[in-house]
Amino acid sequence: MEYTANCKIIEILELSDEKLIELSNKSVLSLSFEEMKKIQGYFRKLKRNPTDVEIETIAQTWSEHCKHKTLTGVVDYTELIPLKKGSFDKLPVSSRNKIEFLKDDKDYVQYEKKERTYNNLLEETIFKATKELNKKWCLSVFKDNAGVIEFDSENAVAFKVETHNHPSALEPYGGAATGVGGVIRDILGVGLGAKPLANTDVFCFGDPNISDSKVPYGIHHPKRIAKGVVAGVRDYGNRMGIPIVNGAVYFDDGYVANPLVYCGTMGILPKNKIEKKVIFGDLILLVGGRTGRDGIHGATFSSVKLDKKSDVNAVQIGNPIVEKKVLDAMLEARDLNLFRAVTDCGAGGLSSAIGELGEKIGARICLDKVPLKYFGLSPWEIWISEAQERMIFAVPLGKKDKIIEIFKRENVEATVVGEFTNDNRLVVLYDNNIVANLDMEFLHNGVPKPVRSAIHKIKEEKIQESIKMNYLEISQTLKVLLADLNVCSREWIIRQYDHEVQGQTIVKPLQGNCIEISGPSDAAVIFPYTIIKDTKKGIVLSNGFNPEYGKINVYKMACSSIEEALRNAVSVGGNIEKISLLDNFCWGNTNSPEVLGSLVCVANACYDMSKAFDVPFISGKDSLHNEYSTSDGKYSIPPALLISAMGVIDDVANTVTMSFKNTGNKIFLLGVTRNELGASVLAKIKNIRIGIVPAVYPNESKEIMKKIYLAINENVVESCHDCSEGGLAVAISEMAFSAKKGVQIYVDSVKTETNMLTMSETLFSESNGRFIVEVTHENETKFREVLKGSIFSEIGCVTDDENIIFESEKNKLKLQENSQDLLKIWQSTINW
Amino acid sequence: MFKIEVFTKEKFKNSKGELVLSDILSIGVRTILKVRYSPLYVIDGNVNYSEVRTLASELLSDKITETYVCKKCIVEDTVKNSKRDVVFFDDGEIPPPVGVCSTIKIWYKKNVTDPVSESILKAIKDLGIVKEFKVKRVGKYYLYGKISRITLHNITAKLLVNTLIQEYMVNGIYS
Repeated sequence: MEYTANCKIIEILELSDEKLIELSNKSVLSLSFEEMKKIQGYFRKLKRNPTDVEIETIAQTWSEHCKHKTLTGVVDYTELIPLKKGSFDKLPVSSRNKIEFLKDDKDYVQYEKKERTYNNLLEETIFKATKELNKKWCLSVFKDNAGVIEFDSENAVAFKVETHNHPSALEPYGGAATGVGGVIRDILGVGLGAKPLANTDVFCFGDPNISDSKVPYGIHHPKRIAKGVVAGVRDYGNRMGIPIVNGAVYFDDGYVANPLVYCGTMGILPKNKIEKKVIFGDLILLVGGRTGRDGIHGATFSSVKLDKKSDVNAVQIGNPIVEKKVLDAMLEARDLNLFRAVTDCGAGGLSSAIGELGEKIGARICLDKVPLKYFGLSPWEIWISEAQERMIFAVPLGKKDKIIEIFKRENVEATVVGEFTNDNRLVVLYDNNIVANLDMEFLHNGVPKPVRSAIHKIKEEKIQESIKMNYLEISQTLKVLLADLNVCSREWIIRQYDHEVQGQTIVKPLQGNCIEISGPSDAAVIFPYTIIKDTKKGIVLSNGFNPEYGKINVYKMACSSIEEALRNAVSVGGNIEKISLLDNFCWGNTNSPEVLGSLVCVANACYDMSKAFDVPFISGKDSLHNEYSTSDGKYSIPPALLISAMGVIDDVANTVTMSFKNTGNKIFLLGVTRNELGASVLAKIKNIRIGIVPAVYPNESKEIMKKIYLAINENVVESCHDCSEGGLAVAISEMAFSAKKGVQIYVDSVKTETNMLTMSETLFSESNGRFIVEVTHENETKFREVLKGSIFSEIGCVTDDENIIFESEKNKLKLQENSQDLLKIWQSTINW
Repeated sequence: MFKIEVFTKEKFKNSKGELVLSDILSIGVRTILKVRYSPLYVIDGNVNYSEVRTLASELLSDKITETYVCKKCIVEDTVKNSKRDVVFFDDGEIPPPVGVCSTIKIWYKKNVTDPVSESILKAIKDLGIVKEFKVKRVGKYYLYGKISRITLHNITAKLLVNTLIQEYMVNGIYS
């Protein structure tokens, strides 16, 4: 092998163990000692040192970002479950050795110890559920750039949610914008390319009102991050002509140094374009933006904890206009069958994209053919650059001229940079010299499987002392809840986004009377009539997210997020029998057994809920090592599981929104209200540290969800809204003020688990599985028939006087608020 | 080398300036009364004054809401050899509007992708000016009111510039 002056030889054959680690850290390779040893062994067998291109290629391919080593690795898991008092004596003697006494707060508590080894955590939890559910309408799951489900007999819909956390922490505008650009390219790169129909976004920021002195040195203030992120998502999404239709924002001080930016895209493609296959002799066509030093080490950097010296080169700036041109041209090329496979250049750049497409056969690339933004890039920089807006196509030789002509017509650069071979080797050339020559098998399957320990101690939950409030206190609490950062209006963000472009958004993110008077939509509905003529079908997009619950019980957090995503979809007319889920894990440093333990527990919750609700996962992504170091120590983020849901509905005419419709209509509450205030918004504002975190009762709520779908399709539902953060009082207020209506609620009519709940507990409990439904007098009988067998009750009616009244004879309390006053409070918190 | 600075006409809303003013107020600085934002384009290459005027009037400014100033700059050898990608010096400085107390200029560091500049290059070619040159976009913020040096630095660092990818000048001094 000969090398040019631009290509360095990395001396690793004789390096000591210590020096191997030093090399990994110094070069931002993010490779563990075991991985460095494996690489050393591989090159010792070859009796040569690797080039910098080879080392970087392996580091990108083996990165946590690309290989998901933690979630697919071996985990020795221990779960500690608190025993109820007195139950130890009832245990058989043989089981007593599994009991441990551990100090919990002040007292020693008995814990039952359960152990299990996972050989591949994902395959044995989330994938397993999907496999066992075996839904025929799931067309491509966990293998391509996005999950794909059936839309109709000829078309499919794809959905992907990505994270772009580290880049957004360093450069909020560019980081978030390229997060959107990246996930759009995932959809362009699924199968032979899908047309993007909608974007979603979910963010976690630190408290925007935090004082400067509490922000770690070198970190942007949370408000600046929030503004930059929103602007980045806005500018990329709007300029691409893709509506941003659904999302969430969550504020917590745990995200001050590590904001989370989740970006999702949904697209549509013909069913006969789902499969891709690269064959020997296909040309490697690089399309789109030019290559610069942007985003060097992005893939490996995402596994590095942030500190004040974080690498500038990991920052990327996007150009949506280039990506829009790529989109238009590639869909034309797709429909003319001009390529056999496509994928986007994301993390790891060309190295990752070409390496993946050629994994089963081999590839040969000439780096000097790659169009550059400027001179001076080393071969390894060209190879792993994460410059944006680039796609790789596998093009049959005979179709080269035609496809290049199509791209040229749109002013998009398209360059043949190599070909796919049949020798199972990745060969990279620069200036006619081989700068990398790696065995594909070693590259893709050579990464050692780490064995990690994980431990998760389930906290014992106790009911808080009874919360009793007079009407003034309830009134004040409701106002504080509506103004809370995690409940208040997101209008300031939503209005910056174009959620109407393409003209297919049937249910929009804000609902209500007019621009000034609106409430939060539960989910979005897209009607793709411009793509599929004469269709009645639609696509529902929703999400569920509540990291606060995870501070007490991560299992319940995951279950609640899944149920919330489903509830939101069902609230607008989604059919739970045709809904699929996406998981996005954002966790702290999983090298810590406790942090990894909570992740294992959540993966188990995903399996349990997926099976219980009969709803499959189709795609997912993880972002680990969200940790920041200061001189005071290391700070991990609160675990955050975003669940996104995508469903297909048969008739978009049968969708409903959340704002009340007509005076006199009856209001029903479906589901049971329990004393579940642990980690609720009420608990946060009242500083109540104990309480039962809302659990999920799948059998109970699945039946209700099915019946709501039936009721909506029988046209007996006027409006529907789920109860989530802030509970019944907040949900009712949102439905009323967004309609400029009043409402009379009889709190005593609410079905509760016990009669022990106080009025404030009933109003602010965050029990899952509950919906508020508005029904006309004429449809009441039909509605009751549909709901027969489920737990529900009539709790009040819509009034015309703009007064929101909650009344309890039992508690001798009556609360009356003006709906427009509450609207102003709800709207005023985030109005930057 | 030419500089083209585009100003919003006084009777029109300068949205970006107003947003920055609102951010300045939100960090507790009450002495700034007004902020105006002006994009400045540095055109470096073999272009003549007539072509620059065409760019300014047809491409970079809006005739109804904006005005522009073009100024030719002399590039000295010492400046040409500077490591900096954008160089400001007195010869080519466009005078600030009356009443301005401080001026902040921000631009991307060398090799950081600037999609606006890339689009401008493409648009210039579409205008029929097919020549080799570079375009650099600079954001200029004019602050009106009284302000100390420390506060000015705080405003710049906390609200306007990200030194990871940008360079800046405050009142003509490189920072």
